[in-house]
Amino acid sequence: MKKCDRCHRPATVHMTEISEGKAMELHLCDQCAAAAGYVQQAHIPVNEILNQLLQAKSRSGEAEPLRCPECGMSWREFKDTGLLGCAKDYEVFAAQLQGVIESTQQGATHHTGKPKGGRAEASSAVALRQTELNRLRKELSRAVQKECYEEAAKLRDQIKAMENAPEPSVGPGPQPTGAA
Amino acid sequence: MKLLDLIKQNGEWLAPGGPKSEVVISSRVRLARNLEGFAFMSKAGRAQRADLHRLCRQRLLALPAEQPLFYVDFEQTDDIDRQLLVERHLISKQHAAGEGSRGVAVSIDEAVSIMVNEEDHLRFQVLRSGLRLRECWQQAEALDHLAQEQFNYAYSERLGYLTACPTNVGTGLRVSVMLHLPALKLTGEIEKIVRAAKDTHLAIRGLFGEGTEAIGDFYQISNQTTLGRSEEEILGEFNDALTPGIIKAELAARAQLEQERPLALDDRIGRAIGVLRHARLLSTEETLYFLSHLRLGVAMGRITGLELETINRLFLQIQPAHLQRLLGRPLDGEARKAARAELVRQILAVKPP
Ligand SMILES: [Zn+2]
Ligand SMILES: [Zn+2]
Repeated sequence: MKKCDRCHRPATVHMTEISEGKAMELHLCDQCAAAAGYVQQAHIPVNEILNQLLQAKSRSGEAEPLRCPECGMSWREFKDTGLLGCAKDYEVFAAQLQGVIESTQQGATHHTGKPKGGRAEASSAVALRQTELNRLRKELSRAVQKECYEEAAKLRDQIKAMENAPEPSVGPGPQPTGAA
Repeated sequence: MKLLDLIKQNGEWLAPGGPKSEVVISSRVRLARNLEGFAFMSKAGRAQRADLHRLCRQRLLALPAEQPLFYVDFEQTDDIDRQLLVERHLISKQHAAGEGSRGVAVSIDEAVSIMVNEEDHLRFQVLRSGLRLRECWQQAEALDHLAQEQFNYAYSERLGYLTACPTNVGTGLRVSVMLHLPALKLTGEIEKIVRAAKDTHLAIRGLFGEGTEAIGDFYQISNQTTLGRSEEEILGEFNDALTPGIIKAELAARAQLEQERPLALDDRIGRAIGVLRHARLLSTEETLYFLSHLRLGVAMGRITGLELETINRLFLQIQPAHLQRLLGRPLDGEARKAARAELVRQILAVKPP
């Protein structure tokens, strides 16, 4: 049995990650896969997922002396409470938080709701685009899990194309509605 | 407006005539917001907490809201006052048990409450009786919009509204419905519903009691994800698809009981009436259990002369803080059981079923 690429446990999740047109094989155990945001554990309450992720991270034993310059929060402290110390922590711990957010938010990575200073829109151009992107990203991870690499590559290109397309006007002020 | 005045009214969410009130007790929308430039609560020192509290209180009370707000400062309340607010669903248990400078702004009709210095700096809540999530959302959104002129929210272009816990980030929106599902419980189908809810990334829990075991067959269902979907998508799924599906299942289970096991059904209801009208000592759990069956009997028209509203009021008033405030004195366990039984007897005796 293959061992997990990141720790000593037996690997249960096998997949091929496509990056820069190259396929790379990955073998991970449940915990490491969840920590990396590859697997969604739909049946486990949010707190448990959080704890699992945090434990997996702490077992990996990396020393992370990183602290938020504004509030002094450390990653270790966040692990204990599940609560961040200030808004800046989302930037300071962006890398670590990514897995936590993706697995507790069904793989979502971007806000598609009411913009600051604006009104909630049922279907603003920005929201629609983000919703579509989120859908494609979810399909991609499903395709990768099912080892449908052709489909995955196609989805990957679609996502890239959408990401590189010019943004529908995003601004801090109220969103104009109607013509995009 | 004083806290004591609250116990005399029923609270918006227990008002009669809400849509689908035979199954849906209430609908709730909650928005989590934080202020730019202030640490979240876990890193907020005493002085910052006090500053933030003063600022939020002052600006919230100045909002040109539809309904005037009154404010409850928790440093000037006792445990029973805060428990009373929990029982009325105006604040969370955590907020009641918390520490330091904090409070809540409440609208006179109790439909709106805004917790200050809970897990996030501000938590807006709109609570209404029956299935009315869209109405709740429209009111919450309007309030949030007014508040945006007073507060500079912590926000990122990518992640949306930034919250103390990453499980709330994005919209900060939590929608929930409180459902009375006694027939699904009696037919044993509730397990299926619980599993289905979990598969759809929804949280389901008993309203009274801890964990998933629901005393009195009341369940609260809420969305788990707040990021990657618009408010409209979250609401639409809940209000238009999910809740109507559960209501349909509960009503089908009621019809099935009525057709296939009418005697067993009336036996349940009759036992509930018997205990509630004659017991001399009632614990909260026991009362909730029997009130649930009584409510089922009234909702199905198997008992006449009693209104859902009366039963809703009982659900509220039999709880410890309400009971003690109604009687005007603190009561220990046994005295509380006696007072509860007496209250239930009085209210149900007015119009014998
Ligand atoms: Zn591993
Ligand atoms: Zn910080």
